[in-house]
Amino acid sequence: MASITLKNASVEFPIFNARGRSLRNNLIRRVGGNISPDNSDVVTVQALRNISITLNPGDRLALVGHNGAGKSTLLRVFSGAYEPSSGEAIIDGKVSSLLDITMGMDPELTGAENIILRGVFTGMKMSEAKAIIPEIAEFSELGDYLNLPMRTYSSGMTLRIAFGVSTVRPPDILLLDELISVGDAEFAKKARKRIEDMMEKASILVLASHDPKTLRQYCNRAVLISEGTIVAEGDVDTVLEAYGVSRGVQEELK
Amino acid sequence: MGFIPSQKNWRLAKSDLVRGLCAWESWYLLGISDIRLRYKRSRLGQLWITMSMAIFITGIGFAFSFLFKQDVKNYMPYFAVNYVVWGLISGIVLDSTTTFTQSAVYLTQEALPRSIFAMRVIVRNLVLFAHNLIIIPVIFLIFKVPVTWTILLAIPGLIILIVIGFLATILLSMICTRFRDMAQILQNLMQMLYFLTPVMWRPEQMTDAWYIVIFNPFAACLRIVSDPIHGIVPLNSVYYMVFATFAFLLVTTLLIFAHFRARIVYWL
Repeated sequence: MASITLKNASVEFPIFNARGRSLRNNLIRRVGGNISPDNSDVVTVQALRNISITLNPGDRLALVGHNGAGKSTLLRVFSGAYEPSSGEAIIDGKVSSLLDITMGMDPELTGAENIILRGVFTGMKMSEAKAIIPEIAEFSELGDYLNLPMRTYSSGMTLRIAFGVSTVRPPDILLLDELISVGDAEFAKKARKRIEDMMEKASILVLASHDPKTLRQYCNRAVLISEGTIVAEGDVDTVLEAYGVSRGVQEELK
Repeated sequence: MGFIPSQKNWRLAKSDLVRGLCAWESWYLLGISDIRLRYKRSRLGQLWITMSMAIFITGIGFAFSFLFKQDVKNYMPYFAVNYVVWGLISGIVLDSTTTFTQSAVYLTQEALPRSIFAMRVIVRNLVLFAHNLIIIPVIFLIFKVPVTWTILLAIPGLIILIVIGFLATILLSMICTRFRDMAQILQNLMQMLYFLTPVMWRPEQMTDAWYIVIFNPFAACLRIVSDPIHGIVPLNSVYYMVFATFAFLLVTTLLIFAHFRARIVYWL
């Protein structure tokens, strides 16, 4: 059974400035004695502070917050890519994070080669990855183009493939940063259907978005993040209202 | 924060290594694609790997046989074998400088085992090594070098070298991600070590400063593979040094990996 549990999870980024990154500085500090008692070379950014949340099957969580509030970082914690620097994150189930759908695609490789590479990285065997090529060729409507290097593709074509591979297997936990829209009107409709299908099949969905309409449509609970902490949680309307108040633009949401 | 990793960190590090090594299709594909990409649009493609090595070995082989006043017939095969094996060693070390930075897109998005990317470096360098290896039988044929059964000892030697290389890759990759100056330091160091390791000269020539040969882990790692190809059984001292290197790397790498594995993504 899929579940996500965060207990007091914090994420702290050490930002090494040009001096802090160098070994020289560390060496000099060791050899020359303590110049600065506090670690002044390293600035720490607290991207998330003491987040506790439990997600169970059936949960469709909306992440709301300003730019830089920590939504993407939290999505990365949910995906398991960022292990909290303090606290705990227990993630059960196969996660698919569509944060960067072109992840690892190389323009010099052909479309088909990129599909295999991505397929293997999402946990398929090489033979399974090869087997999905026809399906993606059909979905992306690219046909023989799949045998050409991706650098010959238009950006729309690249996204069609990337979207096709990313959505080929429904995961237990689906993480989305804004609802992806790809391609022209006709393809976008098809893509929307495919992603809605995937959202429906996923046991847990987390969707970060600025669009109240989208969030109301797909989510059944929400959290508002501000400066790396959860400041409000509850059903979507309540949280959106709190968000509106915190922004002082309640009209915009209506 | 002590330096002894917690129980949980050990468990996660172990699972990273097990999952990473089992995901062979991932690192195999990445490693192969790296090579393919490098020569993608060139007419001769991967043949360039072998050709550049052959050109370099021929040139330097001739020049140095005169410089060292040695017979080309003896010196050329000697240098060719050493240089090809050295290429593998230095390639692994130098590629370790970019292991994680190069794979940042993957690491920041999904919970992938870090060891996949260390294996990518190993695969990439083994493919290069395989291309270069072709030169050796050709040179042996041209110069009519006798081949003995001792050559089979090169196989366990190579396996040990790969295991050591894997540990070194994880350790160096982490250090190079955290301290960006390390890449420059390593590049300079490898350049110097090329001259301090018996690649183009013979260990016997270094009688006055014998410790440079005996206590040089790079020399030991080189000789467990190259000596058998020369038809010599590596000395016990070579194996002791290899074992010491392995033991040191095993302890250091596992400690540091278990302790800082989770931090790698934050350093990218």
